[in-house]
Amino acid sequence: MRKLFKHFLFVSLFIFLNFTNADDFDRGLEIALATDKNFSGFGDSQTNLKMLLKNRKGFVTERKMKMKLLEVPNDGDKSLIVFDSPRDVRGVAVLSYAHKVGSDEQWLYLPALKRVKRVASKNRTGPFLGSEFSLEDLSFQEIEKYTYEYLRDEDLEGKGCYVIKRIPLDPYSGYTKQIVWIDKTDSVILQIHHYDRKSFHLKTQIFKGYKKYLNKFWRPNEIHMINHQTNKTTTLFFEEMTFNTGLSEKDFTQNSLKRSK
Amino acid sequence: MISYLLRRGSRVVRIILFISFCNAVLAEVEIYGEASYENRYFVEEGLFGQDKSHSSFTLSPEFYFESEDQKTSFTFKPKIRRDSVDNERNLFDIQDFSLVKVQDSYETRIGIRRDFWGVTETVHRVDIINQTDQVESFDGEDKLGQPMINLSLEREWGTLDLYVLIGFRERTFAGEKGRLRLPFPIDRNSAQYESSAENLRTDFAIRWSQYYQDLELALSHFSGTSREPEFKAALKNNTNLIIPYYEVIDQTGLEVLYIVGGLAFKLEAISRSGQGDRFSAATAGFEYTQVGILSSSLDLGWLFEFNHDDRYKDSPIALGARLTFNDLYDSQILSGVIRNEETGETNVFVEASRRVRNCCRLSFESVYFNEGTNSNSVQKTFEYLKQDDFARFEFIYYLGN
Repeated sequence: MRKLFKHFLFVSLFIFLNFTNADDFDRGLEIALATDKNFSGFGDSQTNLKMLLKNRKGFVTERKMKMKLLEVPNDGDKSLIVFDSPRDVRGVAVLSYAHKVGSDEQWLYLPALKRVKRVASKNRTGPFLGSEFSLEDLSFQEIEKYTYEYLRDEDLEGKGCYVIKRIPLDPYSGYTKQIVWIDKTDSVILQIHHYDRKSFHLKTQIFKGYKKYLNKFWRPNEIHMINHQTNKTTTLFFEEMTFNTGLSEKDFTQNSLKRSK
Repeated sequence: MISYLLRRGSRVVRIILFISFCNAVLAEVEIYGEASYENRYFVEEGLFGQDKSHSSFTLSPEFYFESEDQKTSFTFKPKIRRDSVDNERNLFDIQDFSLVKVQDSYETRIGIRRDFWGVTETVHRVDIINQTDQVESFDGEDKLGQPMINLSLEREWGTLDLYVLIGFRERTFAGEKGRLRLPFPIDRNSAQYESSAENLRTDFAIRWSQYYQDLELALSHFSGTSREPEFKAALKNNTNLIIPYYEVIDQTGLEVLYIVGGLAFKLEAISRSGQGDRFSAATAGFEYTQVGILSSSLDLGWLFEFNHDDRYKDSPIALGARLTFNDLYDSQILSGVIRNEETGETNVFVEASRRVRNCCRLSFESVYFNEGTNSNSVQKTFEYLKQDDFARFEFIYYLGN
């Protein structure tokens, strides 16, 4: 009897594995592509960001920054983040060019030295300015940068979700896999579990307060990042998001990085 | 009477208008900058009997104005430094007083500014736009404002910067009572120039920079008064003095940065004519960062750079390690060793800093000189600094809201 059960288990595992092929990958990609509709055709946007960093004792500190985002047709998007506070990093800025294929490019501007420094893409996985976000988390996540697999349907806080697995193609990514919960109705990401290079569930990212802009593009109001290893949390608040602000490629060059305040 | 009232009235109106205009402008002006206090404590008395403890206070507020369309901006940043011992370390400098205008196809920057060129960490060979404020810090990364007109074009083929540099700033040197100085006092006021225009010569510079994925390149040329002086011995009022002599030079520079994974290869090379024979000098090396060492949030960066300079036989190498804590306080430690095989000298430095509350920063720096046991006749680089081992504490308060 036991033997039979084992045999049954083996067979069902075999069937399951077979199912995982093609179909689930296609479905995973399809679900991911649906979320990308929120990011195609938005042109450009600008927003103020507030970051609240909470350590395990509940002590809270605040960071403020501005973010500009530009959609680049047929390639990854460009972004510019400038720090307002704390005061000693005021004017520090990060310029990123995401690419659909290949490594992203990133530059850091240090106003005290008037120096622009290239950031090696492998060095983007650590905590950024003491937060639970890495530069990788903050850069734009192009669809082409992952492989996808549909896992299951599941409810998350009463909302029907697809759960998919995505695996970063970038060999320098800080993650081996990410499990993503996607709202079925609005095709927006509600939650991501990040697994680090040792396949340990390191961080949980939760997206809250989705608002629809220009009748088309869903954007979250808050993103929470919980680190399960350190028990620290960082919350990112998006304030005053505006679209079609007239930004162009010229606002995302090294010269514009140098004059960003 | 009526006309008198009108005249008076219009004056009052004009004054009110002027005040409200000033108010409107001032309301838009953002104020940043910093105020800092530092104390340098030297382990021994100086070779020439200088004090062990030196402190100084620096104030450099920054006033910034930007037009609504962000196309025009204006920056004013003076810097005032007062030293407790060394008069030559007192400073009033205008670091920035400049207008930046962004046009469709180019950017114009007019006024007093600072600009940095280069990729390496321990020595900055290519960087030449600004004069070094040598007494501010041992690493030579602090600069004096330079009056200029800078036109910058960004095109498919790269970024091209053209500079007209108006006038010249003299390098700062420690005074008689100051530490980290040469055996003879340097008389800045008697500085001599090759150019008949002396310190009013107009210099030119050009720099092209471009990146190709993981490769960053820059080529530059500078034609003008050397930022680095030669020294001449002179006798003035029966005292031996050293006078800085600034020659007119032509310097071509090359910067290369190539990234492979977490490894960055760096090269800075120059070729200079005008100070004796044409010579070349270069600094090359790499930087490698280990992200999240020992399963923590700490990053450990390794730094290795070696130097060559046709003018000297020695070629010092530098090895450094940078520990970034990635914590709430942005704590970091950079330490390193500079070793000169030729002279047998070793120079050890540690720099550490962390944020205090939301407004301030505390930093510590220590430099140690070891002249080694080489008893050959080679002139030592730090011959006169052998008693100048020091520790420096600095507290910086950042202005603003």
